[in-house]
Amino acid sequence: MSEQTQNCLMDCDMEEMSADNVKTSPADHLQQWSQWQLLDSILPTGGFAHSSGLEAAVQARFVVGPEDLKFYIIQVLENTGSLLLPYVYCASKFPDVESWFKLDRLLEATLTNEVSRKASASQGSALLRVAASIYVEIPSLKQMRDTYLGSGAASFHHAPIFGLICGLLGFDSSTSQRAYMFITMRDVVSAATRLNLIGPLGASVLQHQIAHVAEQMTKKWMDRPVEEASQTSPLVDIVQGCHGYLFSRLFCS
Amino acid sequence: MSGKGGERGERKMETGIAAVEKVGGRSTVTRCFSKYPLKLIVPNKVGSSKTDAVWIYTLSYGGGIVSVYKSVDSKCSEQVLEARIGRNALLAVIPDPVTCFSTARYSQKQVFRVFSDSNLVIVDWITSGRHESGEKWEFELYRSTNQIFLEEDQPLFLDSVLLEQASTCSIAERMQEYHVIAMVIILGPMLKHVQNQVQDEVKKMMSRHFRVPTPTAGHYMRSESQSGPTRPALVASCSAFGPQAIGVVVRIAAVTTESVYMFLRHHLATLEPFLGVIPYG
Repeated sequence: MSEQTQNCLMDCDMEEMSADNVKTSPADHLQQWSQWQLLDSILPTGGFAHSSGLEAAVQARFVVGPEDLKFYIIQVLENTGSLLLPYVYCASKFPDVESWFKLDRLLEATLTNEVSRKASASQGSALLRVAASIYVEIPSLKQMRDTYLGSGAASFHHAPIFGLICGLLGFDSSTSQRAYMFITMRDVVSAATRLNLIGPLGASVLQHQIAHVAEQMTKKWMDRPVEEASQTSPLVDIVQGCHGYLFSRLFCS
Repeated sequence: MSGKGGERGERKMETGIAAVEKVGGRSTVTRCFSKYPLKLIVPNKVGSSKTDAVWIYTLSYGGGIVSVYKSVDSKCSEQVLEARIGRNALLAVIPDPVTCFSTARYSQKQVFRVFSDSNLVIVDWITSGRHESGEKWEFELYRSTNQIFLEEDQPLFLDSVLLEQASTCSIAERMQEYHVIAMVIILGPMLKHVQNQVQDEVKKMMSRHFRVPTPTAGHYMRSESQSGPTRPALVASCSAFGPQAIGVVVRIAAVTTESVYMFLRHHLATLEPFLGVIPYG
């Protein structure tokens, strides 16, 4: 082979490598490990203790069959999109403690349903505790937790904390919002299996069936300011608020 | 209290202002101004003359504030109310329900600024439309925003309900057999007894509807075609909010408007000494 051809071949190899790097760098690859861990249900954030009002919906006969279940989950996703996605969006775009604190205070006033307010604070606190322990390369998580935990000034609501962690981990805001919708769906579907409404395989089938609807909802409600946060499923909100009236319950909300 | 009205796209103008102050120990209207399309009416006497309260009625030319007509060129009928409630004062906003006609677009925003010892009762409710004409949740869009701020713009209660026809799910499908949704806010130290009573009674009323799950819980997924106990005709939940739980919010969904009138009459009856009459009586 002539030297010229050899150089040409080497150049081609270099270009291929660069093209590959532009698509997914080693940093992106590493990020996927953090991303998958954050969305894995095995992460000990206590999400399994909450049913998004499904338990109350079942006991009040709002969910009696598989079609009802599907419809209920879609309503939960819509309400999550309209009410909470703006908080995930803003927190992931501005992942600093000051912005987070403002969002936390706003959401405290916005979650007027006591049951979902407490569930949000409980899940957010657990998520922050876990993230501060895992992602030691982000010292601000632990600092923020230490600063605000004792004072009682913050509630540590779930959506802003989730957005903040995503932002600090380097995820784009679109992925962060989609991820939040995903974990919401994941947890309601999981609650449905534990309420014996559907088997694990059926639940997985259902989850995939609804994925395109969840994506539609995500696209519809993403990238909005918190001033636009609103609830769109009043019945879901009322039923969720009834959780405290249940005679016997498996879940906290 | 000031009222504002205007159509989207046009300059917003104040169309009404009212102020109520203690003059010589009695609540007195010290300012009252309204212009078309809003009218503020202050009747001389509502209820017992011993009661220290002022009643202000709002009317809108063109069929009343509560009826919202078809939207023209997708303009949205918009109402804005801003109120400041002083220390130890009480404001009760107790309207009839909004009824949106088919294809209507309606948006309302109510902003209340309070002190920690102010008192506030807000009823905000909507029916599904003109039942006689068979209209059931056929309007295009309804948005109702209620915001309460403490001193220094601290947000205390921020709520926005948005009902919009969507391709994935119509409003009627979302609301199922319920024709009315309502929200009642009760806030302030003077109303603690009202709050406690509402919370206890809603809990008692709703607890009756929640059956004990049986060991064969898995079976109810298969028996959906069988007849069994039906959903409650009125479903409600009650939540405390704010520092030291200074406020309580009740959210209701009901099949009939009359059942909500009864609920409101019953639970707001303890306001009679403050207002001079039983609201919705």
